[in-house]
Parts: sequence; C-alpha cells; structure tokens
Amino acid sequence: MAPKVDFSKCDGCKAQDEPLCEQVCPGNLMTLGENGKAYCRETSDCWDCMSCTKICPVGAIETRMPFQLGYHGAKLIPMMGTNTITWTCIDINGKIERFRCKTRTD
Amino acid sequence: MEKKIPKTGLYLCDPGGEIGAVIDLQILADKSAKIKGVEHSEVAADPFSEDFLTSVREKIEADTIDRIVWAGRFTSRQQESLKKTLAGINLNPYLHEWCDIGLYGIGRNGDGAKVQQQKALSLIKMAAARARLLQPLEPHEIPAIDVAVVVGAGIAGLHVAASFLERGKPVHLVEQQSGVGGKVALLSRFYPLQCDPHCGLEYVLKSLRNSDKLTLHTLSKPTGIEGAAGNFSVTVQSEPRYVDESRCNGCGRCAEVCPVDLPVFTDSVQDEPPFQQEKGIGSIIRETRKAIHPSLPYAFPESYVVDRQVCPEGCSACRDICPTKAIDLDQVSSEQSLRAGAVVATTGWDPYPLSKMSTYFGYGVYPNVIGNLEMEQVLSRMSRGLGNPTAPPVKNLKTVGFVQCVGSRNKLHLSYCSSVCCSATIKQIQQLKSIQPDVTCIVFYQDMRCNGFEEDMYQALKEEDDILFVRGFPKITGSESDGSQLTAIAEDTFSGKPVKQDLDLLVLAGGMQLSQAGQDFAEVSGLPLNESNFLTGHYQCYPEESQRSGIVSGGCARGPMNVSQSIDSAHRAAFKALNFLDGSILIKPTFPLVDKTKCDECKRCVEECPFGVYHYDEKGFPEPDLGKCRQCGNCMGTCPVAAISLNNFTIKQLAAQIEVLENSFLDYEEPLILAFLCENDAYPAARAAVDSGLNPPLNAIYVKVPCAGAVNNAVVADALALGIDGVLIAGCKDGQCHYVNGNQLVLKRSGDLREKLTTMMIEPERVRSESIEIQEGARFVQILEDYIEDLKQLGPNPFKV
Repeated sequence: MAPKVDFSKCDGCKAQDEPLCEQVCPGNLMTLGENGKAYCRETSDCWDCMSCTKICPVGAIETRMPFQLGYHGAKLIPMMGTNTITWTCIDINGKIERFRCKTRTD
Repeated sequence: MEKKIPKTGLYLCDPGGEIGAVIDLQILADKSAKIKGVEHSEVAADPFSEDFLTSVREKIEADTIDRIVWAGRFTSRQQESLKKTLAGINLNPYLHEWCDIGLYGIGRNGDGAKVQQQKALSLIKMAAARARLLQPLEPHEIPAIDVAVVVGAGIAGLHVAASFLERGKPVHLVEQQSGVGGKVALLSRFYPLQCDPHCGLEYVLKSLRNSDKLTLHTLSKPTGIEGAAGNFSVTVQSEPRYVDESRCNGCGRCAEVCPVDLPVFTDSVQDEPPFQQEKGIGSIIRETRKAIHPSLPYAFPESYVVDRQVCPEGCSACRDICPTKAIDLDQVSSEQSLRAGAVVATTGWDPYPLSKMSTYFGYGVYPNVIGNLEMEQVLSRMSRGLGNPTAPPVKNLKTVGFVQCVGSRNKLHLSYCSSVCCSATIKQIQQLKSIQPDVTCIVFYQDMRCNGFEEDMYQALKEEDDILFVRGFPKITGSESDGSQLTAIAEDTFSGKPVKQDLDLLVLAGGMQLSQAGQDFAEVSGLPLNESNFLTGHYQCYPEESQRSGIVSGGCARGPMNVSQSIDSAHRAAFKALNFLDGSILIKPTFPLVDKTKCDECKRCVEECPFGVYHYDEKGFPEPDLGKCRQCGNCMGTCPVAAISLNNFTIKQLAAQIEVLENSFLDYEEPLILAFLCENDAYPAARAAVDSGLNPPLNAIYVKVPCAGAVNNAVVADALALGIDGVLIAGCKDGQCHYVNGNQLVLKRSGDLREKLTTMMIEPERVRSESIEIQEGARFVQILEDYIEDLKQLGPNPFKV
C-alpha cells in the first residue's frame, strides 16, 4: 500500500527541486506534483519501506499497512529520535504495541 | 590521532550552604565518583580560595582531569569570576560544564530529601554525560576590510562618515542626488535653537571636505550587497554628472549661457510627480534654475551637474564656454564594486504624498495650500528676502493656518505618529512671527505632541494672543475665483464652539515615511521592514543593527526623527559599525556545523534561517556564512535529519543528557518534565523564580537552549521515547524573539509533533510550548505546576518503564 501524503501538512520541503521523500525513496517513486506537494507516482511499485514516512520533517506522510499484514485500518507509525526509532503499531481492533529500537547511524 | 578518553573532574560547590542543609554533599560526591568518565570528585569547601585553585591546577597539569563539571549553586557572577580565575590554569573555557543544582531550589526545605538527593545526582549525571562530549574550542578569526560604505548623505550619513574619518577609516559615501544634505538642506531652521541648517551641515562637512579617505559617489545607488560582515562587496551604479569634478572650478559661466529654465520648487514638493507649477508651492516659488547647476540640495561636491534629460537636442553651449574644459556631455553611467567591512544605511525619509489627503484639505486644489516641508522653502526665502514677494499667497500674509497629523495617525494612511511635526509647526510659527510680527496663526490639531524640552516652546506660543490652537480638523473651501482666499470651518472640541476663519495660507504638517531609497536598500540587502515600513533591528535591544550583521541603519531610515535624534542615531550606528572595521572579526566558536555525511541537502535550514546565513558549497551542501551567523541554532532545530549542531551545544550532547533521564528519580506516578528554556527569557525566569524565594516543583529538569527554535524534534522524540512524561519548550513572547521568529518556528514544529503523537495514540499534551518573559518567575512556577496537574490527569507516558 502506497504512502499517503497529507497535503495540508506537506510543504514540498519548501518547494525545493527535490523534497526529502523523493531523495530517500529507494524506488524513486515520490515526486512533487504541480501543486508543490509530494505524491507517490507509481503506487503499485511501493515496497512499504517507510523511508519517506520516517524522513518527512513535518510528519505529512502516512504508510497504510498492506492488508496481508494488518488489514485496512491498521497503522504503523514511526517517530524518529536522534539515535532511536519508536514504532507504534495499532491493529484493526485498536490494540497498541510500542517498540523502541536503537539505530546506529553515527 | 590517538583518541583521548575524557577525564572529568567533578567539584561540588555550595558557597551559601543551602544545598548542604538537606543533602549530604559528601555522599553525593562519593556517588558521583562512580559515574562513567568521572576521574575525580570532591566537595569544594571554598571554591574561591587560593589553595583550592592550586589543587585544581595541579590536577589539570598532571593530566588527572581534562575537563570540569561544576555542580552546586552559583550566581552568574560567581560563575564569571570562577571562569576568570580558571582562565589562568590552562583549561579551555569550553571544557567547563555548569550544573546549577541551586536553580531547582534544592535544599530549600526538608520535604522529600531523598528525592532531592536523587534529583541532584541525576542532574550531575546529565552534566557528566555532556561533559564527556565537550570539545576545546577557539574563537574563529576572519579578516575584515576597514572600509565602510555609507548609503545616503543626509545629515545622518554625513555624521556617520565623519565618525569613521575621525577614526581613520576610509569611507565610500553613496548618494542618489547630485549633492549632499538630504532633507535637512531643504529646511529653513532647526528647532529648538532656530539654527540655520547650513551651519550644521558646514560643521560636519568641515571634516569631510579635505579628507583623502572620503570617496563621494553622487547620483549613485547600491544595486547589490553580497558577502558578510567584514567582507561585503557592494555594487554601486552611478549616473553621469557630465561635469568632470576635478576640473570644474564652479565659476558658473555655463549656467549663464544655458537656455533651459526649470522651476526649483520641485526639490521639496510633498507629492508624487508630475508636479504642477500653477498649484500649491509651484505658484508661490517661481524661481528657476538652469539645466546645468550646482549640486543639489547642498552644493557639495562643489562641481556643477547637468540634467541631461531636459537639454535641448544638439545644444552644447555649456561645453563650448567652459574655461577649464570640464564638461563632457557624452559620459555614460558606470558600475563599480566596492569592498567594505560594514554598510551603513542612512537613507532617510520621504514626505507622505499630500495629494492623497486632498479631499480633506485642498492640497493640489487651491494654490495656497502647501506642505510643511514646502513651508520651509517659503520661510527660507522670506527670511533671506528672496523669492517672489508678489506671488499672491505670500504677498500680504495676515492669517496662516496649520493642520497637524496630515497623513500621520490615520489608519487609512500612516498609522504611526511622525513625531516631529508638532514641534516643527511651533518652530515655523516662531520663525514666521520673527519675520512678520503682525501675522495671525491658527493651528488645527488632534493632540500637540511636543516631547521633552520642546514643550516649553509650545507653552510659550500658547501664551500669545494672535496664535490660536483649535482642537479639531477643519473643512477647507476656497472663496475667490482662483481659490486663493481660503476659509476654514472647524469645531473646537474643547469648547464645543464652531470656528470659522479666513486664511491666506494653509500649511499641512505631512507625515514621514521611509524614503524610496530606503525601500530599495531593503530590497537590495534582503532586509525586512518593520510593521511601520522602516528599517529596523530589534526595536529595543539592538535598534541600529539589522538581521545581517555588519549592516546597520541610522537616522530617519529607522523611523521619524528630528535632526538631533537623527544625529544621535547616526552616531550609535557608526559606533556599532566600527566593530566590523577593526582589521579582523572574532567569531565565537559556538557557530553551527553541518555534518555533511548526514545532510540530505533538503535546504530547510537555508529557508528557515532568520538571517539568511546559509549558502551552498560547490557540492550543493548548505554552508553557514560565519560572519553573518548570530548562532541562534534555528538551523539545528529545523534539520529533519539532525545533521546540524552548534559547537558546544550539539545534538549528541543533548541526546546523551536526556538518556540519563531514562531512569527517573521520581516515583512511577509522578510526572517527569523536561523543559527546554530559551537562555534569553525563560531560563532567567527560572532563576528569577528561585531568587525570589519560590520553590519550583521537583518534577522538572531544565535544559538551557540558545533559542527555543534550536530544539530539534528528534531530541523531543528521544525524550518522549525514554518515558519522560512531558516536554515543555519555553521561548520568548511573540515579536520579542532576539532571532526574529524562533518562537514561531517552534510553535509550528511542536504542532507537527503533537499531530504525530495523536496518530500514535499518545496524548498531544505531552509536548507543550509556552512564552515566558524574563521576570515572570512566579508565572514560570505556575506553568510548571499546571503542567504537572495536567500530566497527572493523563497518567504516565506509555513508554515509561
């Protein structure tokens, strides 16, 4: 399931040539539309890697869980710390699980 | 290079004995000794004694310790004096870490002594975690050019230039007119001393006339300002004078043969072109000048100048007669690039166009309704016995009306008070009465605002019988066929009686607005204007400075001022600019660094930097221009990948500090708050709270930040993920931020984070932003207490272990 961009929040990374989601997407799927907002141009090619969701500086991108994993309505939300990612999984029954993972990027 | 393992020395100081009353400092020191990286820990009985300092010095020299955490209770004065003494012990000033336990009111009372002890230990652990990551830093020196560019050669610009020349600094004075003097050269008198402005101009020109360090660029304006403080490159475009300044001896024979006659009234007209000669000032002053004439408005430089647009085609009478062959009618405009350490904008003011008010007072409709700057010209000619005494309005002046606040203090026009017009009117009446004692004056006003000593001038005039002050605006009608006899009808709102008066001349006290040259300067330099459309820095804290360091402004470019205020402001501006002209500029080492291995080139820092500091290096990475940077850290706060850090205030240091709080010193139910406090307002407010005897709740831990806008969301996310119950980001009140809009940026960012928390099914109230003023200690404590209550309602953070 492709990333969904909340146009009211997306600022197109201040309308630079390449927004962050475009730079980070391994499949080069994200791009800026004519309205200056990012969108996924080939939804069927998305791998759900969530790179765009993680990097978006204004939190405008949401990844919908593929139905094989969580059915419609389930959510997986990352929050990026300095060297941690905090994951929140909400299944279709509203059950919440949270994980904190260290990332070693330095 | 061999990686050195940091060795921290920890000293517990408690000069007032306040902390020791509740906490056993020795136990605290013993526990602190076990913290990672702490090599030495002791209670310093008297940190200011010679013996103690010797022992610290010995430890540093023996390399037992290489950085120091000072924990305890200090006033900022004690901190400074310790730093000063320790400067002699060969320890870089950036290797000190201050852990101010006293800021939390610890030791004030015996309640919860155990929690107080644990909190003190947590604070020390945080300081030690940060201390491990400290780096020695040295100030960055960049060479500065000692030349100044001054834009605008009015009275303010001339004084700025004179100040620089006094200090031996070369000056480029850029003026868009053909001569210096600006608006002051158009005045007849200054108040309150009734001086002739030519005397004031001559006084300042004395030091400029023979200086070989002054370069005057007339008919010129800046078209580009590149670079930063100490190293500007200013592009100046100059229109030709058609007269070689070095050859012209000012004999004036060219003007005798020039066939063109131009009216002179246009110099001071308070309206937008095209000007009509038969209306207003044009019908009063009928003098003419030639197409070739001395510099205007004041004859410096002394060379003549040609208005080439009005020359008849093929005419070269002036060139043919010139005895020194100074005239070259084929000159073309030129552009040059000036290198400068500082740029001073003294671009002055323009009169508000009075025709915008013509429906009220008949400006431009009746020939004898004029503006107050135009009145200066009339007075000037009357006092010198010049002008055309047969022009109907001034031939036989019996009654003169004055209307105040024309354009100013009017929401549809200029909302502000132009501040000088009341006193200017008083001055004009004084002068008019001295030339023509039998004249009657009537002033229509809404409030007379004569500030300071000027009030005496006003009160003296009020005593006189033939000067009438009417509180209320008149309706003006013209009664003769040419409209030259005016009638004013008004209601005096004090007495409630109608006033009807025939007038020979009506003078409108027009408003002042930023000159066109000032607006152009703002555009060229990329500086914003304030809400009244003037150039400004921080209105109170650094009024003459701007958002680009090295560019300062003075005089009426900053707002309406009278001549003496303008000169005041010019001197302050010159003083500020001199800092950038002293050979080199020392930059504090706490500037931002971009980690290019992490940077994604998203350019958000470039967009959000309030001072336009960032440019791109050859690989497209953002790079700060250190000369421009004010080191507020808004770039650090905004970076989506946390790749930017201020030296001595890095993301890593913050993350390490916060990590300590994973194990709260409080009970599970008690909410723990991490408060990021702006060092300009909120942090001093926290200090004010304890200094005034208040006991802030133990639940909060403070982190001092250079600006609320320097707090990166990743750090806040860290705190929340570690189970901290609430994060408070406190900055300045709206419009008071020293860094333009740091508080606005943080509002937007924490708003984004709050929305993310909502989707994560975490209460968005766990991130809160507040504005706190420096003295609001009590309110600061109240904010914390309210927040604790709210957080108790929410329950513990779901990430808390």
